[in-house]
Amino acid sequence: MTPISMKKADMVTAIVLAVIGVAMFLGGYQMDRLEFRKIHPASIPGLVPMGLGLLLSLCAVLMFRSARASADDELISTGKGGVLIWTTLLCLIYALVLVGWLPFLAATFLFITLFVTLFSWPAGPELKPRLKSLAVAVLFGAVMSVAISALFRYGFLVRLP
Amino acid sequence: MDSIQSLAVAFVELTTPMMLFHVLWATLLGIIVGSLPGLTATMGVALLTSLTYSMDRDSAILVLICMYVGAIYGGSRSAILLNIPGTPASAATSLDGYPLARAGKAGYAMGLATVGSVLGTLVGIALLVLLAPPLAEAAIRFGSFEFFWLAVFGVVISGQLTADGNVQKGYIAGILGLMVAMIGSDGIHAHVRFNLGIPDLNGGIGLIPAMVGAFGFAEVLTAMSNPPGKVVTADGPKARTIPRFIDVWKYKLTILRSGVIGTLVGILPGVGEDIGAWASYAAARRSSKERDQFGKGSQEGLIAAETGNSAVVPGSLIPALTLAIPGSAASAVLIAALFIHGIRPGPMIMIEAPEFIYLVAVMLLFATLAILVLGLFLTPVFVTVLKVPHAYLMPVVFTLCVIGPYAISQRMFDVWVMAVFGVIGFVLRKMNYPMAPLVLGIILGDLLDKSLRRGLILSDGDLSPFFTRPICAVFVVIIAASILSSSQGVRRAVSRLWRPSATDGKP
Repeated sequence: MTPISMKKADMVTAIVLAVIGVAMFLGGYQMDRLEFRKIHPASIPGLVPMGLGLLLSLCAVLMFRSARASADDELISTGKGGVLIWTTLLCLIYALVLVGWLPFLAATFLFITLFVTLFSWPAGPELKPRLKSLAVAVLFGAVMSVAISALFRYGFLVRLP
Repeated sequence: MDSIQSLAVAFVELTTPMMLFHVLWATLLGIIVGSLPGLTATMGVALLTSLTYSMDRDSAILVLICMYVGAIYGGSRSAILLNIPGTPASAATSLDGYPLARAGKAGYAMGLATVGSVLGTLVGIALLVLLAPPLAEAAIRFGSFEFFWLAVFGVVISGQLTADGNVQKGYIAGILGLMVAMIGSDGIHAHVRFNLGIPDLNGGIGLIPAMVGAFGFAEVLTAMSNPPGKVVTADGPKARTIPRFIDVWKYKLTILRSGVIGTLVGILPGVGEDIGAWASYAAARRSSKERDQFGKGSQEGLIAAETGNSAVVPGSLIPALTLAIPGSAASAVLIAALFIHGIRPGPMIMIEAPEFIYLVAVMLLFATLAILVLGLFLTPVFVTVLKVPHAYLMPVVFTLCVIGPYAISQRMFDVWVMAVFGVIGFVLRKMNYPMAPLVLGIILGDLLDKSLRRGLILSDGDLSPFFTRPICAVFVVIIAASILSSSQGVRRAVSRLWRPSATDGKP
């Protein structure tokens, strides 16, 4: 994965943060003032959000200026990019899709088995180490999913998703 | 005298076989969690909170404190053997611990780190017992005006001290945390804010799911994307692991100084163990006779770093118990756990549960004794644990990240919150945004919001009490000085003013 320039990332982030700050300020400004409940005007619910929105926008502007003026162009280390993308995908699919859609035990078994298989897959073309790696992953997935499910279900009395 | 009596009562109350069993397993688990790169103390405490839900109050808090102390200490294992700090708190430890390990003294370095951690925690416990009760009594005099500035002070100091070079990023992280706290029903009029039409957001963002995401999921992603380290175990079979008394005694001043520095850093809101370790390390280096050895395998440097980070643990509990303001990210989770188990931390603690501070001190003492015993005698076990590949460890950790937040609320929504905070936390961390101010902002947002608006109601919209009340004025001066000192323009102007006067007297 190509390293990302910290300077550029900071400038883009500053713009995003400034937009969030303005949105927060407007959200606070347009928030219900609760006049019908005759509250003190200084205690309106939007007061602090307005202040925070302004502060965030101010910090974002300052960061944009300092990033633009900075001569130092540090690179953001993304490490092993492919591994990162696969890990993120697997984790998000497990947390957002599988859990709740499948019983917890099955979802966890699938996730752990796939994760271990993917990241401990032997590099060589031989069949035997591959089969061994797959068998270990399935066994590990089965043991861990049963153990975690039993711990939460019977140990901590949690109604599993 | 009352304190000693209260400590004795707490000691007797906690000395039961069941409690001692909890101490052993929770500390051991903490050391394992801390020693594994990718698993932090905050994540361990956050995940364990869900497991202590069905326990009684004292057992639950004991288990969490043992996890916290164990994990901060455990980080030294991988710092020494792998040159990868198990937790950020052990980054300074690796500077001298790893060179010692490469010189064939890994076991001895771990022994020194153990003794340093034990002594640091003991100094912190002594200061906790001495400082917490009077601080709680002083805090009773705090009103809305003072609490507003205390919340601002926490976010500003945390943002400034935890930022890695760019202070603006620390402030931004703190403001983002405060913004997250604005989601859901407000604390005064119960008006729902920023729920984006999602009913699950009416109650706000839960701290535990957010913390598990930002510290757990983000750590899983970080650990998987970084190459694993290589364990150094070059000691001979008869290598000494228990430090000589003389080696520890000659650094008595360093230990005491590091313990005090660590505790004071712990008291600062949201600053955390890593800063405690670095501050202690820097102070030890400045005053050492063998400063050229620092970074090359100095025993003094190793002891200073470990004493400093461990002393932060009791230190961080001082504001957590007496002001409900966490001294570190892990103590923020502890505050949430205290609420779950029916303890209301804050100025009223010395009135509502005066014995609790002493119970916490004894819990810390038990955890400290446990790390001494486990740390000195189970070194080979920790070396084996460090060899577990990430491909096997991380899916199990992530499964716990998913089921942990769910177990507390039984809501799938909290799993989604964890996932979102995990991705955001990972991206922010890659861009050098510190996580501690973000967490502190989430915790302090409600206090800041309520205190400002309640103060304005009390003063009928007049802002002057926020600046004229004595404690408020002190806070304002400290906050203003702190913000101004972080500005390069102001620093340059001050140095320009200073330079001519400094050279005036010279010929």
